[in-house]
Amino acid sequence: MARDRTQGEDYVAPLRRLLIGLLVLFLLSIFLVWRIDSPRVERFRAIVVDRFVPSFDWVMAPVTGTINLVRDFQSYQRVVDQNKELRRELQQMKAWKEAALQLEQENARLLDLNNVRLDPRLTFVTGVVLADSGSPFRQSVLLNIGARDGIVDGWAAMDGIGLVGRISGVGQTTSRVILLSDSSSRIPATIQPSGQTALIVGDNTIAPHIDFLENPDQVRPGDRVVSSGDGGVFPPGLLIGQVASDPGGRLRVRLAADYERLEFLRVLRNHGHEQLRAPGGLIVPEGLAQNEAEPEAE
Amino acid sequence: MSNSAATRLWLMRLAFVVLCLMVIFVQLMPLETVPRSWTGPDLLLVLSAVWVLRRPDYAPAVLIAGLMLLADFLYMRPPGLFAGVAVIVCENLRRRSLNMRDVAFPMEWLTAAGAMAAIVVGNRVLTSIFILDQVPLGLTVIQLIMSILAYPLVVAFSFAFLGLRRASPRDLDNMAGRP
Repeated sequence: MARDRTQGEDYVAPLRRLLIGLLVLFLLSIFLVWRIDSPRVERFRAIVVDRFVPSFDWVMAPVTGTINLVRDFQSYQRVVDQNKELRRELQQMKAWKEAALQLEQENARLLDLNNVRLDPRLTFVTGVVLADSGSPFRQSVLLNIGARDGIVDGWAAMDGIGLVGRISGVGQTTSRVILLSDSSSRIPATIQPSGQTALIVGDNTIAPHIDFLENPDQVRPGDRVVSSGDGGVFPPGLLIGQVASDPGGRLRVRLAADYERLEFLRVLRNHGHEQLRAPGGLIVPEGLAQNEAEPEAE
Repeated sequence: MSNSAATRLWLMRLAFVVLCLMVIFVQLMPLETVPRSWTGPDLLLVLSAVWVLRRPDYAPAVLIAGLMLLADFLYMRPPGLFAGVAVIVCENLRRRSLNMRDVAFPMEWLTAAGAMAAIVVGNRVLTSIFILDQVPLGLTVIQLIMSILAYPLVVAFSFAFLGLRRASPRDLDNMAGRP
């Protein structure tokens, strides 16, 4: 019987092999096109994600909620210890709050004295995290806001406290945030008291490491790391985290954002800063120079 | 008789697709936003290996290609690369599955493990040839080991809930007799 079968397949087998070959060729050509013209295929990827993930949203949200509920329930076992710890922390926090209030008042006074105008264009859109990357090798999340809400590639995403990542890939209703911990994330930053600039390089761990630091001796664990705004990547001054050194002696950033719970992210609208092209651009704006030139001509 | 067999064939193909979509869906749930130092098995790969080795007719190459391509797009992998390698190796498995009918389980397990390792290694070699970002080696090895360990579990699951067992000669005759 089995012999019959193989003989019967004789004319099918080559055809089948041909079709499989075509299928593999098709897949690998997608890969090649992606390698050659990445942005176009990435846009297609954004469309696929846009179509696929929100259709799961109605079941994803309750399932995720339930699992988180169970996890929270498990954490009740530790609740007494946690309570004690929280009380102790609260005591400390009250002292800090007092200090912060005084500093805030002082800061407001100083700003007033110097007539400083804070950047008024820094507004944000808040989105809900729909999905994570699904793979242990990539660190990214998907938000439920997209081109429809005016999201643009490259904007910064924060949770309440610190920087979380940057937008990379915008669909019509979804957008992907590459987290700072992803191995393709590079963020220019300033380390606060010493004012040195460095790159925060993600390496698929919870604490990205600090690279291209000019003088590591001036940096010590506990220093604040904020975004520097170099290269127009982010608005300057967003809190990233604190410097920490790992057992190997390399400097890393302990991120301020709570990566355990990324539920809501705010995406900062950043329309870029004015570029100075000519040396005198800052002193005499271009439009003003024209206006003054016209009366002279008449 | 042949009608009910055809219905069952399409039902099982549907079950394969639904199972794979469920795996993708569960992995996409925003539960793991912290980088992990370990990882679970690549269930999509294990499922494909099990179904191709046990009942090749239930997991046609087009389905595997489509699902893997979808996973490539959703998991932010280079699109088409992993899918292409997986289809090539699965076709190799499919060719061997005819001789697998009366082989002991450990041998089948070894074959599947070899195939999964081939997919992972092939993927890694191709990414390095095309000078793409490499994923951490340790994590890849852990994932491969977990996938190999998960193989018997997926076999047991498929057998218990979907009645997926190795094709008996009778089934193959039915298949051959189908117009």
